[in-house]
Amino acid sequence: MAVLPMQHIRIYALKENRKAILELLQRRGAVEITDPKISSSLFQKMDTSTAQSTFEKSAATAQQALEAVLALAPEKGGLLKMLEGRRSLSLEDYENRVKEREEISKIASRIVLLQKEIGDQKAEIVRLQTQIEALTPWYALDISMRVKETKNARVFIGIFPQEYTEAGLKEAIAKADSSLSVPVCEIVSSLNQQTCTFLMCKKSEGEAMETAIRSLGFSYPQNPSKVPPKKRQEILQERVEKAEAIIRKDEEEILSYQDQTDRLRFLADYYTMRTDKYAVLGRLAQSPHTFLVTGYVVKEEAPALQKELEENYQAFVELSDPGKKEDVPVKLKNNGFSSPVEPVLEGYSMPGRGEVDPCSVMAIFYYVLFGMMLSDAGYGLIMVLGCGWVLHKYRRSMESGLRKTLTMFLYSGISTTFWGVMFGGYFGNAIPMIAQTFFHTNVAIAPLWFDPVSDPMRLLVFSLLLGVIHLFAGLGMQFYQLAKQHKWADAIYDVVFWYLLVGGLIVYMLSTPLVTGMLALTFLLPENVGLVGAVLAGIGAVGIIATSGRSSRSFGKRLLKGLYGLYGISSWLSDVLSYSRLLALGLATGVIANVFNQMGAMAGDGIIGAIFFAVVFVIGHVLNIAINLLGAYVHTNRLQYVEFFGKFYEGGGRKFSPFSIKTKFFTIKEEQ
Amino acid sequence: MDINVLGMPLAVLGAALAALLAGIGSAIGVGMGGQAAAGVVTEDPGKFGKVLILQLLPGTQGIYGLLIAFMTLSNIGVLGTPKEVTFAQGLMYLFAGILMGVAGLISAKWQARASVSGISLLAKRPDQFGKAMIFPAMVETYAVLALLVSLLCVANIGNIAI
Repeated sequence: MAVLPMQHIRIYALKENRKAILELLQRRGAVEITDPKISSSLFQKMDTSTAQSTFEKSAATAQQALEAVLALAPEKGGLLKMLEGRRSLSLEDYENRVKEREEISKIASRIVLLQKEIGDQKAEIVRLQTQIEALTPWYALDISMRVKETKNARVFIGIFPQEYTEAGLKEAIAKADSSLSVPVCEIVSSLNQQTCTFLMCKKSEGEAMETAIRSLGFSYPQNPSKVPPKKRQEILQERVEKAEAIIRKDEEEILSYQDQTDRLRFLADYYTMRTDKYAVLGRLAQSPHTFLVTGYVVKEEAPALQKELEENYQAFVELSDPGKKEDVPVKLKNNGFSSPVEPVLEGYSMPGRGEVDPCSVMAIFYYVLFGMMLSDAGYGLIMVLGCGWVLHKYRRSMESGLRKTLTMFLYSGISTTFWGVMFGGYFGNAIPMIAQTFFHTNVAIAPLWFDPVSDPMRLLVFSLLLGVIHLFAGLGMQFYQLAKQHKWADAIYDVVFWYLLVGGLIVYMLSTPLVTGMLALTFLLPENVGLVGAVLAGIGAVGIIATSGRSSRSFGKRLLKGLYGLYGISSWLSDVLSYSRLLALGLATGVIANVFNQMGAMAGDGIIGAIFFAVVFVIGHVLNIAINLLGAYVHTNRLQYVEFFGKFYEGGGRKFSPFSIKTKFFTIKEEQ
Repeated sequence: MDINVLGMPLAVLGAALAALLAGIGSAIGVGMGGQAAAGVVTEDPGKFGKVLILQLLPGTQGIYGLLIAFMTLSNIGVLGTPKEVTFAQGLMYLFAGILMGVAGLISAKWQARASVSGISLLAKRPDQFGKAMIFPAMVETYAVLALLVSLLCVANIGNIAI
């Protein structure tokens, strides 16, 4: 358990080695680059924003091209592929691939172009189809829709916003203007609250007729077709087919690049890396012939890096320890047992200045608490086997964050199995249930310790006890932290007094029959032991009142702050009670598992019964595992974050984020 | 009429209310979470796993309700051989059920609000998942406490001879 010490690094080198050095640093991923403070005008920063945005664009093009290909030819094994992580390339392989980048870039641009064309054609098809749709009511018309007049007649081709029959329309026109002679009228179609009509009248009556029909809501169609509508529709349909043909052709061409996905991925990664590199390049201080890199490096890795840079790249490397008040990035180092909970810690916050890395203490409690909440040997075994299999299968390439999380679940699974055996849960009561239903015998696996369903009080007491231990461990961490900074007085005021108060109170309570009776305990501490407890608690309480307000000067304020500090005992009460969720969640898993077993057994024995049981068993237990795994994860985190961290940990540190290869698909393996 | 005939129905009512009210709360809560989660997934399908967890957080109350209901039914022998339940015992089961039901209903609704806010937090700052998860989990404490009291009642009412 440790927060790794950091050092400042300053690398001075010649510009001719700039590319090589930057690439080395990127591959190593050991240095977090900072902005150098330069006062001399000799050093300048380079503006690389244009280059950066060009590279970003190239990366985006490659990514887009890749997605276009994958959209047409999806690859198999989605979720498992994700577990696999990034593929690693040897340096030589990488160099070879870099040489092909022009060629792949062309392919990528071509694919993006094709994709754009497909998009355009699809939009065109939609547009054409809307037009065809608008023409549909006019199919029966066999002349151009644009005809307005003949030699002697005025023609109206248009729409009324109402459904008319021929007679009805004539009547409506006559009503609108009785002086008009009856026009020639043909209903082209009459549907959905609109009537498409062909009207013809004498030229002399044309204007009056227009006024009359306008008053009925007549309007000309929006895109009148020049040729008869049916013919127009055929033309449009032909265009649709043409567009579809283009789409097919383009898609085929994109599909022909199916074997290029790997290279497209590389291209996307390559340009992402270059973008990062140029971002760093823009932060370097450069003179005409030299440049300067400043940053943080992990202390134990520093000498090796220094040696390599100085020997192979003619650089001069300066290392120095950071100042006490500096905002140094945090990198954790833990062993195999406690590093799996690092992501949980990161989910809260990295250790702040002067704080210790709580992972190793946290890990023990994490696994224990998680196991108690799930507490079923069957479920635990499934977790162990599942996580174990995935971890083994993808052991080479899995990303470290995912690996840690899965390992965390693996260890929690072991603990779950342990508690399951203690409390006698094997897929709930599946074994006795199966024995009873199908074999009509009574088989029972007795719990190694006790059965929580029949004796919940006992588990509650144990949960609270575990809570007190967890909280005391948190307080112990606070002591360690303060002691490390040689703040011995604070350690006594803030930790020892609380130990005395809370510990003393617990001892005292255990000597009163009221409390032991309530908790159904079988023992009662002797009265004089209780008295000692009470005295210790009193000392603690007085100490807390006297010291909690030590930052204030005036006596009155001190006393008030001290009393307020003592009021903190109420938070201890709620903290301890919070651990009752261990009981609640543990019981929930077991009882719901029992419910599913019982449901499964309802169909009785025989083959049908067995099939029914198997189906209910699988579905039910998968559901139960999913829900309770989530519950156990969330509530274990909560107990760590709120109760445990509340006693000593604030966080606020910044995670060490070195200049490195932040790619999606490939990593580059360094030859050692 | 012997008043003790009512014991069993009251106890069943208690079990039903525990499952019903807590179930309603969780259904509302998970529904609210689902709406918010779907919104985030339209923008970024990659966040599916994380928002799903946040969506499911208010779902536990329904399970607690089911737990109490099942334990009640099992203790009074509706599942298995029926036992003698007096009127007073029936009332006690009812109270225990109402406790879980009401606490579950209300806490699930409020937890869902915290979940929805957590989902929008996650949409903007995907790295803050741990914290987004803790806010709704704080609300759940009170459902857990209700479950605890309810559970202790249900487990022990059978032993009280009134």
